[in-house]
Amino acid sequence: MIINFKINGKETLINLTKNKRLIDLLRDDLKLTGTKEGCSIGECGACTVIVNGKAVNSCLVLAQQVDECDVITVEGLAEGNKLSELQQNFLKYGAIQCGFCTPGMLMSAYALFLENPTPSREEIETAIEGNLCRCTGYKPIIQAITSTVSGE
Amino acid sequence: MIPQFKYYRPKSINELKSILGDMQDNSRILAGGTDIVPGFIQQSSRFTSITNLIDINCIADLKAIKNVDGQVLIGSAITFAEIMKNELIQTHFPLLTKAASTVGSIQIRNRATVVGNFVNNAPCADSVPPLLVYDASIKIISPNGERNIPLNEFLLNPYETQLKKNECVTEIIIPAPKENFIGDFYKLGRRSAVSISRISLAFLMHEENKFIKEFKIASGAITPIGKRFYEIENAFVGKEISSETFMEIASTLGEKVLETTGLRWSTDYKLPVVQQMLYQLLERNVGGISG
Ligand code: FES
Ligand code: FES
Repeated sequence: MIINFKINGKETLINLTKNKRLIDLLRDDLKLTGTKEGCSIGECGACTVIVNGKAVNSCLVLAQQVDECDVITVEGLAEGNKLSELQQNFLKYGAIQCGFCTPGMLMSAYALFLENPTPSREEIETAIEGNLCRCTGYKPIIQAITSTVSGE
Repeated sequence: MIPQFKYYRPKSINELKSILGDMQDNSRILAGGTDIVPGFIQQSSRFTSITNLIDINCIADLKAIKNVDGQVLIGSAITFAEIMKNELIQTHFPLLTKAASTVGSIQIRNRATVVGNFVNNAPCADSVPPLLVYDASIKIISPNGERNIPLNEFLLNPYETQLKKNECVTEIIIPAPKENFIGDFYKLGRRSAVSISRISLAFLMHEENKFIKEFKIASGAITPIGKRFYEIENAFVGKEISSETFMEIASTLGEKVLETTGLRWSTDYKLPVVQQMLYQLLERNVGGISG
């Protein structure tokens, strides 16, 4: 089956020779390894990407299902070599330690901003409810997202 | 890892019907995929033998929530996120909105469907208790026609429903709401986010002059499948609204739960919790009325 979709703004055609998940399509075929695989069952959020404006776990989606969709991964956040404000704030506030959860956290926060540019703290907490971080603790992460809202 | 099933993506109900007509065993409907896809990875025997997968997400009719003469029709490709945001449901079926908001995480709610939740019929299906107290029924199609069936009859055993091969659920039908019901949904999980529910309850009560006029109660997770407790409902209609009545309802529920589940390792913990939970729910929501 041939699928035709947009990845980080670029139209892409892929000939799927076997069934696979979206995360495998991204990491193995497109070499977009920013998206991480943690639990593989929809619990950790490390594999979060955006499909048609909504945050989804790419380990729970079949590659076939993104045919004609618009997909954004963490590689789509920076503009050239310039990190987005959200990414810069993750660095500034120490919201990264090992970094494994970071792509997923960024994509969940990004999806929230797409829907609501001025979320409350509670809305931010709900947005990253499906993203586990086992090193940083959530405070610096929430701080980084909050600061992006207020433009600090 | 992922089996080499054949993937179908019908664009209309008619196309779906003709695909269903050609299906053998080992065909499955794919809606959200949040149970099926990880099921492949975990080598779950319920999924690894699938040879045909029919994705229903591109059928516009199944991606709609409609209001037809007061009845609400929810298409079987509607996600929990779509339920949560729907104003019709927020206004008339708030227990369903509440239950939807407790499912998984945003990422899960953006994919997982309400119908998939109960077709899979895991005991922890959060959408089931609210749908049961709202007297929901479902529409099922097959190449030969369609049938409507009450949800409580559709659910048979854990992971087992009345759905036959060649069939697909297309709609949930919720009858027009009665405005004078007070009710609530409650779920207790092991942790507060992304939780699989351990105990869930939904109830609706219609009170008139401090007496119970109508009463509906359903459980999920504590019982092997989501279940309405008609006997309890009937036993308490006509009783006066009071703390004593609430306590009696709560303890009767405990007995019934015990009857359906038998004793389990978790009974010592769950039983008192269920009773307290229902008692407090009733006090909080209806208690004020007795003044
Ligand atoms: S790898 Fe997808 S949610 Fe954990
Ligand atoms: S930084 Fe290591 S898991 Fe979050």
